[in-house]
Amino acid sequence: MSVALGQQLKIRSMIYVAAEPVPYFWPMRAFIHHNPLHGLEDLPFQHAVEKGAKLFHGEAYLPRTVYQQYLTQGKIDPERLTQEVDQFLAQRKNIPALDLHDMLMTLLSKIETPVMLPTTLINDADVQAELQGSVATDLSPPGRDQLAIHLRDSLLGQRPVYETVDDLYGTEIGASLDELVIKSCLDFFDEGQSVWRMPNREQGFFAAWRQVAMRNIRLFLRGLHINEILAVDDRPEGIIDYVMKTLQVPEEHWVTYFTRELARLHGWAGFIRWRASAKHYHWAQRYPGDLVDYMAVRLTLALALLSERGRQKVAYTSGAIDQLIQQRTQETYLRYELYGGTVLPAMAHQIEKTLLRGRADKIERVFNEYIKQKRVNEARQQGVRLRELLSHSASGDSLATLSVTDFSGLLALLRDFEREEGMCWLRAMESRAIHHLLQGVSVSPPETREKRPFVQALFCIDTRSERIRRQLEGIGDYQTFGIAGFFGVPVSFMELGKGSETHLCPVLLTPKNVVLEMSMHGGQEVATLSALEKALHALKESVLTPFVTVEAIGLLFGFDLVGKTIAPRAYNRWRHHLHPKKPVTRMLLDKLTREQADSIVRAVQRAVIVKAVELELAQSTERLTDELIRDLRESAMGHDDSYRQHAEMLGVTESQLGKFIQRLREGYRINPAFAQLQLERLGRIGFSLDEQVRFVGQALKSIGLTSGFSRFILLVGHGSSSENNPYESALDCGACGGNHGLVSARVLAQMANKADVRKRLNEKGFDIPDDAWFVPALHNTTTDEISLFDLELMPSTHLVYLDRLRKGLTAASRLCAQERLPSLQIQHKPQDEPAAAQRFMQRNALDWSQVRPEWGLSGNAYFIIGHRALTRQLSLEGRAFLHSYDYRVDSKRRLLENILTGPLVVGQWINMEHYFSAVDNERFGSGSKVYHNVAGRFGVMTGNLSDLRTGLPAQTVHEQGLPYHQPLRLITVIEAPFEHARRAVEAVVAVKYLVRNGWIRLMVIDPESATVFIYEDGDWHKQSCAGELSSAIPQESCAS
Amino acid sequence: MAYLVYPLAGLFLPLFPFSMVFNLLYTRLRNPLLRSLLILVWPQIGLAVIFKSGLAVPTWLLLWALLTSLLYALRALVLRELGLWTSFVATSAWALLWILVDNGTDTFQLKLFGLGMSVPFVLLALLGAALERRFGAAYLGLYGGLAQTIPRYAGVLVVVVLAIVATPIFPTFFAMLSMIIKTIPVAPLVAVGVGIVWLLWSWAGARLLQGMIAGPGGVAVADLSQTGMWLYVAVLIGLVFTAVYWLGAMS
Repeated sequence: MSVALGQQLKIRSMIYVAAEPVPYFWPMRAFIHHNPLHGLEDLPFQHAVEKGAKLFHGEAYLPRTVYQQYLTQGKIDPERLTQEVDQFLAQRKNIPALDLHDMLMTLLSKIETPVMLPTTLINDADVQAELQGSVATDLSPPGRDQLAIHLRDSLLGQRPVYETVDDLYGTEIGASLDELVIKSCLDFFDEGQSVWRMPNREQGFFAAWRQVAMRNIRLFLRGLHINEILAVDDRPEGIIDYVMKTLQVPEEHWVTYFTRELARLHGWAGFIRWRASAKHYHWAQRYPGDLVDYMAVRLTLALALLSERGRQKVAYTSGAIDQLIQQRTQETYLRYELYGGTVLPAMAHQIEKTLLRGRADKIERVFNEYIKQKRVNEARQQGVRLRELLSHSASGDSLATLSVTDFSGLLALLRDFEREEGMCWLRAMESRAIHHLLQGVSVSPPETREKRPFVQALFCIDTRSERIRRQLEGIGDYQTFGIAGFFGVPVSFMELGKGSETHLCPVLLTPKNVVLEMSMHGGQEVATLSALEKALHALKESVLTPFVTVEAIGLLFGFDLVGKTIAPRAYNRWRHHLHPKKPVTRMLLDKLTREQADSIVRAVQRAVIVKAVELELAQSTERLTDELIRDLRESAMGHDDSYRQHAEMLGVTESQLGKFIQRLREGYRINPAFAQLQLERLGRIGFSLDEQVRFVGQALKSIGLTSGFSRFILLVGHGSSSENNPYESALDCGACGGNHGLVSARVLAQMANKADVRKRLNEKGFDIPDDAWFVPALHNTTTDEISLFDLELMPSTHLVYLDRLRKGLTAASRLCAQERLPSLQIQHKPQDEPAAAQRFMQRNALDWSQVRPEWGLSGNAYFIIGHRALTRQLSLEGRAFLHSYDYRVDSKRRLLENILTGPLVVGQWINMEHYFSAVDNERFGSGSKVYHNVAGRFGVMTGNLSDLRTGLPAQTVHEQGLPYHQPLRLITVIEAPFEHARRAVEAVVAVKYLVRNGWIRLMVIDPESATVFIYEDGDWHKQSCAGELSSAIPQESCAS
Repeated sequence: MAYLVYPLAGLFLPLFPFSMVFNLLYTRLRNPLLRSLLILVWPQIGLAVIFKSGLAVPTWLLLWALLTSLLYALRALVLRELGLWTSFVATSAWALLWILVDNGTDTFQLKLFGLGMSVPFVLLALLGAALERRFGAAYLGLYGGLAQTIPRYAGVLVVVVLAIVATPIFPTFFAMLSMIIKTIPVAPLVAVGVGIVWLLWSWAGARLLQGMIAGPGGVAVADLSQTGMWLYVAVLIGLVFTAVYWLGAMS
């Protein structure tokens, strides 16, 4: 059977649409923070989190008890909480007999668990009777039709059929299916971890899997007749069509059905979705696979598992289940209660026995008894919850006098309030955070400096830079700036000794320019230790050798283990000496001319031809003249036939040489097409002078640094260092695509130090003195050390100041370490010297058992776009992204729009990643690191088989089971005149909707009027800097 | 005489279908103390009957006992009600005592084995009753996550189940070890059968713990008191000492 092309395309587009809510998952080598609900950002925050929570079975807010703790600790604004309750009540009908405000505040502050329970059988009158101490008179079961409707709503429609079967028969097909799908994904998407690899992977995921599955004896032994399904079609779309029709799922539900399927293993689905879209990704190019393949694999296995159960007389299609509901309603209800996990424990065993016997009269009897007991139980449980609330509430006694209508109104009100309370808590918590910030900001214009600072340092906007910047500014004449860690230069970097490119920029961008790292020395021999390490890895990964290896040299690993555990600092220092030092390198930054590129291509081709002659014609290289090589090259390129004259010299016939030329064209790719491709690739190397001037100018202007340059301008990239940590790149620079920021710093410094670039910049209005020198540096965020690089390029006039600079940086690093030390729970004494604190941090970075080498970006809450003077006097405790910006040099708002487009959006992703990982670490985060295992070299799983764990581990956002990261939406501040900022926001569509939909809390601090504008509830509100709301500003000025 | 003794002993050292009597009785009795008494006394009566009669154990009866043990161990894999699980695994364990009888184990030692194997079931019966008081029933998979909600109770439950499934160094472990070591030379297939029973117990135990201990916490209920916990711990430590000093030396 073959499905029509139209249907194939329809299925493809359905899966594309269905996958929209599933967030991308990037390989962990370059961890990208992302919003787990990115696909729902077109919805208002509140609606999106509700939808996301349902789809991914996660929680959207913290438990009430945690908010109550925050309230006690002063992290939540009680006044704002009261306002939230008032606002809620203002939209509801009042119940005069009750003090509803007091009741809801009591619920928020004194009741730990939800008051309103999910009930299925009782009505409000039953609850009222229970509260009045009587039992509802009508305990009769619901009508058959009513019950059937309830069952159809719960069991049929858009949910996967096997979930329904599991809920009716306790079959656990869903778990088995997930397990089989995960194994299939691990086999296909492996990136070098497995020794035995899946065959035929280059044919694509479904095709390769299909061939293996048809010969999979284990599936056959499990009774899965997978061949019968796979024989239907060899295309994934055909299989999907067949399975969906066999399961009798109506076509109008397919999209939602697919979404539910994808959401079950959203980590794998997100990875495959990203991989299919990453055209540059090596593994995707080599072994293609997309979500259509994934869906076909999943549905094939699902149908096979369901059919296997079907042979045991289990209803396994939508139609059969519908029939079951229709014909055996009571039995279906009891089954759903028992296997769906909602049964009354006291009757569970009786129901199980009755269902096993299958006698209709007995089932009816048990059903009637169960309904009765369930109603009584539901009413009683609900009564207990309400009594607890009323016992704490002032108007609890008035409840007895309530009419039935008022009582129903009260229950509906409580139900609605509990549904919305998460937002109340969140807004009240944000209100406190906003208030804290506004109390500390300084809206007065920055002081004008009489002399230039000793050092100007450009740090990444990363929250971890805030502490070190504050410390650095505190110890001397240092002026700091915040800029996205890739310094505005998107670079595709090819590291020395590596053959692949790394994108050093936010994932939103695709770099056009390649930068090569070139060694200042010649090729180096592989060190003995490195060779030994490679040999050991090969032995470990082989199938049989590990057994022998352990016996023979296992003790060596023991030394390593003891060294790393007992004395990590000393041992790692010693090991470090065994490895060769990385040679001094330079970046190949300048664009090649056409002639240079042409010459490089020719040189490469000549080298290839020499090797080919040696291999194919067994000729020694000494006999090969330049003329011979040139003629062979020209012939292979099709320019002439001059090769014939060399046949005799090479000791071959003309026809043999002709074949060799053909081999050069096809096997060695010496042909015009490939030469053109090489030229195009070479064309990507480096930046033209114009580009360099533009990038340097833009970077400096975006932070408002156009004059007053000091002698040293440090470009401080950042990175982390930790041992045994698959999440290491999550601690690196997000703006550099989850890599260290040093390369970006070196690139910009090399550009900015060029005389030609300086000259052009000064022509454009910059005032960069000749003695200003840009120095690349790396801030190690785990140890807080700052190291300077490319010092050999520094003019000798600057060396005299270098010692002072180093001392200043060391002091700031140590003070910063001392500040961070208590939060890491490392045993310390308050009187610990800064140097001792840094030693602790260094040990932490080298400790291979350390699950929390640093807190990373945890705690992030603010994104401040403005002059440093705005928050310089305020300790933001490493919670703020700080982007320098001076509106006075940005009259057209282009710079601000760039900041909003790139850094702010990345900041929002980071913020949301932390938010959801903190509120539900199991579902949106990745659980405890302790149980993680690396999967396929691109992700981690919990245990040996699980969904790919997305999000952040518990150790990053939780401390002793409670959130360390306080989950807030990103509070963004723009320091600029209101209209200037508002227009910039309106001009960036993505940010405009993030603000309007409440994914970002936006404030504008207008320094000219010393007024704060806050966007809230779809409107701008004026507020004084002390935090008092004054008024909503006229709507027309808010319009886009 | 033998015709009377074998069925009588088969009732108390349960052989299928006589085993149904104990299981029926156990499920009918709801009082945890009576259940505990039943568990302690039942196999001891069986052993007393055998010792009193002095009859030898024929091979067919050994196989019958092994099959009974296998049947109940296998059935325990799918049970969700804790009371039934207790009685089925106890039946499976006691049926194996026939093999120890056949091995010529000393009377006192055998009685001690019987007692050592029964005491963990008593603890489980009491734990089951505690669960029924809290949730209305002791049933797997309905209110998982006890490790989160009632950690003390969950801890005790784990150790008791480990004692039942013959984890070193509890009495049942030494009983199983003794059984296998002594049976291998004379009836290797029976020894293999005993090994399979052991495996099935472990599997059933793992399922029990998975259905009760693991997962997110559910309804908040009162945990086991400190005193209660230490009482259980004391009994378990007593079991370990008994096993190491009186039973371990014998195997």
